[in-house]
Amino acid sequence: MESTEAGPFAAPDYDVPIPYRQRISSYYQALGYGSPYEWAHYAEVPFAPLKKPIAESRVALVTTAAPYQPGKGEQGPGAPYNAAPKFFKVFSGDTAGDHDLRIAHIAYDRVHTTAEDSNTWFPLPALRRAAASGRIGEMAPRFHGAPTNRSHRVTLDQDCPDILARCREDQVDAVILLAV
Amino acid sequence: MCHQTVSLAARHLEAHGIPTVVLGCAKDIVEYVGVPRFLFSDFPLGNPGGRPKDPASQDFTLDLALRLLEGAPAPRTTVQSPLRWSEEASWKLDYSNVDRLSPEEIARRRDEFDRQKEIAREIKQNEAE
Repeated sequence: MESTEAGPFAAPDYDVPIPYRQRISSYYQALGYGSPYEWAHYAEVPFAPLKKPIAESRVALVTTAAPYQPGKGEQGPGAPYNAAPKFFKVFSGDTAGDHDLRIAHIAYDRVHTTAEDSNTWFPLPALRRAAASGRIGEMAPRFHGAPTNRSHRVTLDQDCPDILARCREDQVDAVILLAV
Repeated sequence: MCHQTVSLAARHLEAHGIPTVVLGCAKDIVEYVGVPRFLFSDFPLGNPGGRPKDPASQDFTLDLALRLLEGAPAPRTTVQSPLRWSEEASWKLDYSNVDRLSPEEIARRRDEFDRQKEIAREIKQNEAE
């Protein structure tokens, strides 16, 4: 029986952010892969305040979604996990155009969501609306795709400097990053 | 991995003077890495930008992210979106939960995982050549 001690708005104990590191670790151990994954972890966190109001800033998007690649298996809504569209180098796209980015190469929650709407992982149209309404100064000329590599080393040594160089080239003032 | 990747990228940009905000659904991973600004949506993985087929929720989510860029007073500022995925929270019990999988299902997933890993290895190799 549920306790009512905490009052009428009390939530069940499992209604908390999912402890993914613990879940994923137990999952791969159950599948038979020995030592648990070592997640990146830092005590110090850098901080750079906005240099000008967001309504005057040039804003870039970074996502881990991949371009749709016909011929590389199912990538549509509800497709099973499919490593074939994965990529291992940073890519960029022109924000003036529309892009078909998918997430079939990512271990998203396939039980409770179906990846039917790319706006939830690549909100370029929403950013465009924000630019049109004056909420942001403007969109950066390019967005960037970040490869999801198991190795932090590769992400740190190869992909992070690459994304930084592209953002500098485009003289962006702020970056919105979407983790799928 | 996605949450770790973008968290590392956010840190790198920020360390070089570019302000960032991470949008994601895996709170523990992003906060474990440690990022300057994080907009957490308590949604199933795959929906960092808002609810599917719901432009109002997507605009709301983007606006919260922009407000976080404008107003975060210090690094490690997390804002949790007030949006809820569903009234019921039982969806949170399913993701990669071994207690809910049969031994047959675990064996099947292991085979599939090995197969996909091999595909990824080949792509990596081809891109490097």
